[in-house]
Amino acid sequence: MTASLNFMMAPFLACLILIFIMVYFGIHVIEREIIFIDIALAQIAALGSAASLVLVNLNVVTRHNGHEHDSRTFMAYLFCLLAAGIFTLLKNKKLKIPLEAIIGIAYAVATTSAVIILDKGAGGDVHIHDMLAGTLLWVSWNQVLRLFVIVLVIGLFHYFFREKFKAVTLAYHSDETNIARPGLWDFLFYFTFGIIIVEAVAVGGILTVFAFLIIPASISAFFSKRWIIRILIGLLAGGIATISGLYLSWVMDVPCSPTIILFLAVCLLIAVIIKGIIKCIRFLHQMTRQEKY
Amino acid sequence: MLDNLLFLSAPITVSVLLAGILSYFGNHILSRGIIFIDIAVAQIAALGTMIGLLLGFAEESLNVQLISYIFTVIIIALFALTKSRKQVIPQEAIIGIIYCVGLGLAMLLAEKIPGGSNFITKTITGNLLWVTWDKVLYCFIMFLIIGIIHLIFRKQFIMITDTRNGLPYTLWRTRTYELLFYITFSVAIVKAVPVGGVFLVFTLLIAPTAAATLFTQNWKKRFIWSWIIGVLGSVLGMYISYTLDISNAPSIVTLLGVTVFFLAFGKLAAQKFKTISIKK
Repeated sequence: MTASLNFMMAPFLACLILIFIMVYFGIHVIEREIIFIDIALAQIAALGSAASLVLVNLNVVTRHNGHEHDSRTFMAYLFCLLAAGIFTLLKNKKLKIPLEAIIGIAYAVATTSAVIILDKGAGGDVHIHDMLAGTLLWVSWNQVLRLFVIVLVIGLFHYFFREKFKAVTLAYHSDETNIARPGLWDFLFYFTFGIIIVEAVAVGGILTVFAFLIIPASISAFFSKRWIIRILIGLLAGGIATISGLYLSWVMDVPCSPTIILFLAVCLLIAVIIKGIIKCIRFLHQMTRQEKY
Repeated sequence: MLDNLLFLSAPITVSVLLAGILSYFGNHILSRGIIFIDIAVAQIAALGTMIGLLLGFAEESLNVQLISYIFTVIIIALFALTKSRKQVIPQEAIIGIIYCVGLGLAMLLAEKIPGGSNFITKTITGNLLWVTWDKVLYCFIMFLIIGIIHLIFRKQFIMITDTRNGLPYTLWRTRTYELLFYITFSVAIVKAVPVGGVFLVFTLLIAPTAAATLFTQNWKKRFIWSWIIGVLGSVLGMYISYTLDISNAPSIVTLLGVTVFFLAFGKLAAQKFKTISIKK
């Protein structure tokens, strides 16, 4: 029991760190209604690291054991930066097609070209599976520490400038803002978001990161409008889902990332039901009050 | 050369058929602004197929397709229901959650089916190369029926998609047409996903019409141009995949997608030049 607990400790901590920062970014993303930009960015980052695999195989980049991971991360950042640039350029009213169409096409192209690249090598199916669901169970303590430091730095940065980031997000759909230089803060938001996405996808896989980003933030949207409470609610729901998901995946011998995603979905369902019950109670309360008067 | 052509003739025919029906639907989808609904629906259709497999039915049997249809209809109904309520979270987030949970569930089920992770790859890349003439004929008849329905109601469908001036009919008439539209749409998706895969379906829906919409707003011109672009892209993509020895669906997706990006940048550049020359 203790051995398995030790074994599960690193994935569990990694999940908690990821959820903590993802809930925060998720609230931003949902307020901005740019839900799918993150899955597209994550997929493009994964395409970058797949492309670096090819470069290593072709001996364009000389293979050193220590540097392989660095070159993968570097390519992931490069692809992400390119994609962010393309999205910014193509967000143009003159084009007559919605930005979502472009994001969607980018996602489709990135996924299928990653499949083309990975299919060429041996064990393609396994690589595709890893790309989607990640290798959360095999996360090392070094990776957890690295994740923690990056999340801490970016979290502190966002904490100090929280008012600015909030103002930029809340004014995303209107043309006027009350802060100076909204473009700069928008860029800083995407820049930090991109760093987190690249680091998170390397640990959790595309699908897990997407679920962490959207589902806890959606759950918290039902109960509160204050950001700090929303983050706490999201963290609570995410923590429960992670514990039960990891436990069940260990007991039933199924992969852990999809199990955690399913438990997050169950949490969302429970949240919807609780919200419904609260509404019912309030309604009954009002009815009885009206009868009294 | 002739042998290769014979071998590729069925896949090329079916991809032309898919391009025909999907680029038509794409015009409606793009105008309605529900871009990601089809990737969610396609994923759910694939999930339905997997559940059918898990229950022990043969792949492509009637039972499996029935389960796939039921799943798709449930999801479409869910979208319709959540749309009418007061919005706490945006519609896009619901679509995203459904897609994500659908894919996650598919990955869990894949562990339980022999060769399951192969199946995940197959839903991404599709199965174009191994399509039989029987299936081509079946698809053709299905798409013909849907096409005839849409030919009869073409004016009404365009009216309910283009709601800038408010609803054109009474509420219940509009809802009936909506239902007819969504049912034909999901039948086409359920038929198309096992053949082409989730991403080919998505790209054939969005990319040709996006390319056409860049240059014209007229419905008739958009239909014609998206058909031309879709069919040309499929045939060319098939040729490229054959010469470079890569899977065919991904090569069509990449070709069409990259084309849209080039056209979009080209249009922006052309407009820049125009404004500069006007200033001069």
